[in-house]
Amino acid sequence: MPRSRPGSGHRITDGTGEAVAMSGIGPLEPGEGTLARDEPGPAGPPRTPWPYGPLARAYRRHRRAVLTAAALILLLSSGSYLYATRERPSPPAPSAPPYPSQVTDVSYLDAVATPPRDAGPRSFSFAVLVGVSSGPPVTVTRVSQPYAGLSVTSEPRPPFRTRAGTAQKVVITMHVRDCGKVPENVGLPFLDVTLRNTRAIQMHSFILGPRYARTLSGALRAACDNDSR
Amino acid sequence: MRQRSLIAITAALAAGALTLTACGSRGGDKGSDSDSGGTIVTIGVDAPLTGDLSALGLGIKNSADLAAKTANKQNYVKGVTFKVEALDDQAQPSSGQQNATKFVANKSVLGVVGPLNSSVAESMQKVFDDAKLVQVSPANTNPALSQGVNWQKSKTRPYKSYFRTATTDAIQGPFAAQYMYNEAKKRKVFVIDDKKTYGAGLAATFTEEFKKLGGKVVGTDHINPETKDFSAVATKVKKSGADMVYYGGEYPQAGPLSRQIKAAGAKVPLIGGDGIYSADFIKLAGSGGEGDFATSVGAPVEELPSAKEFIANYEAAGYKEAYEAYGGYSYDSAWAIIEAVKKVVEDNGGKLPDDAREKVTAAMQDVSFDGVTGKVSFDEFGDATNKQLTVYSVQKGAWKPVKSGTYTG
Repeated sequence: MPRSRPGSGHRITDGTGEAVAMSGIGPLEPGEGTLARDEPGPAGPPRTPWPYGPLARAYRRHRRAVLTAAALILLLSSGSYLYATRERPSPPAPSAPPYPSQVTDVSYLDAVATPPRDAGPRSFSFAVLVGVSSGPPVTVTRVSQPYAGLSVTSEPRPPFRTRAGTAQKVVITMHVRDCGKVPENVGLPFLDVTLRNTRAIQMHSFILGPRYARTLSGALRAACDNDSR
Repeated sequence: MRQRSLIAITAALAAGALTLTACGSRGGDKGSDSDSGGTIVTIGVDAPLTGDLSALGLGIKNSADLAAKTANKQNYVKGVTFKVEALDDQAQPSSGQQNATKFVANKSVLGVVGPLNSSVAESMQKVFDDAKLVQVSPANTNPALSQGVNWQKSKTRPYKSYFRTATTDAIQGPFAAQYMYNEAKKRKVFVIDDKKTYGAGLAATFTEEFKKLGGKVVGTDHINPETKDFSAVATKVKKSGADMVYYGGEYPQAGPLSRQIKAAGAKVPLIGGDGIYSADFIKLAGSGGEGDFATSVGAPVEELPSAKEFIANYEAAGYKEAYEAYGGYSYDSAWAIIEAVKKVVEDNGGKLPDDAREKVTAAMQDVSFDGVTGKVSFDEFGDATNKQLTVYSVQKGAWKPVKSGTYTG
């Protein structure tokens, strides 16, 4: 099956060149005595007579030159065809855009002294930097955190977009809903961010590090100190 | 004569056409072992090539070999041909130390990839550091190796020659705790470890975070990694009322442990670290392993375009064994050595200097490239700056990613 596949490597090498040489070179340079076979033998079948006419006469006069020219044309066209259809490395397929989690960075900046006016009591804010390194723009569609006693809002509010090569400051505000359901102390808390680009939608956790952990723990203690856990 | 000239021209054209054809169809394949000649630089590989952990070790060896072959094929460092020499540490610290001494004695070795086990690394570090021979581990996760034994209070780098591409347990343990407490809603854990540097260290970082979150440790125990009978500890787990088990250790023990815990009647998930993230764990745990968890370093490979290329090249190279959990990290570790050698050679007029080992170690600190696992570079402790982690769960007999996170602190 592969041998008959159009454009396959076999088509290039499977005797095509050889066939050209045989049909072109053989009649051009007959070996000694080969012309004698052109004479009708006594036992042989009668030869078909040469056609008449001006073209036929011209052909008879320039038979070898015509055959040479034909062979040349055949060779050149075969060579050109083979060269044109040779195996070439296929152009690289356009690469798919990167997954949003692989190009997005969310890093902790600092605590924000004054939470937004409408944040309500027992709320605290901090700023993060959302940056995108490459690929299509990434949209943050949701910001969340894992503790049951807390809810979260952000400014700007999701969805917001960040283009490659840029970063924007986002103020996150945590609202303590139930002091009995927040951790007293946290080591490496997450901030969960849902990211979307033309490749995928992903929920990714950003572990913002010890400074964020200290901010979160301190703020939770301050919010819940006078509350029965 | 005129006719003979025509024949000659025709023959020449025919030959030319065939030559063109032949040139066009060859595709430039020169094979993967093309030798760029010049100076031989050996990259040592130390890993368990035999024994229970050989699946991981052989994946490390093959992946480092692929990096060397790729560099040679590309003539990446002009005048240098890379060669890989792999030694088997059998996951034993004493063997690792002997291997380190052998690598130091071989003057063509300018960097070593490995080892797998943190306990083995502990025994090798000083040998390498005394010889100023750089070591890049694709798999060690114990924080003390790069940040000192008191890393939780004050970080001090013990050895300038030690680097790693894997994320540490300082992040991996808490990452697991956060997931199991907040998302899997588990509250009572039974913690088991194998008393080794890696396993005990990982269990400790998990436990600390789980308790901070409000979780309870309802029991702890250690196992002997030389045995496979864990029925006594399985019974303890059942009696404790735990709703999950955390295991600090590796898959040859974790698989049977999971199976025996379920057989004892405790239908609770077991979770461990990158040491159990292996297809062999699933085989050993059997059907009871369904729903077990593992954290592992890095993002799932399908999210990394560079990893896809690595996987394709690995398959094309025809290695018998799978690249396993640390393949990408091993390739990147070897490539980091290649990058450091390249820098040293280029800074020295195209030749290796006499103090090449010392210079390669110094150059490693500033190495930066886009590797299989993402951006590869090192912080002031020699730890990878790329700190991604993923939680996997056994679903329908295979590991499936369920949560990914990035440390950006």
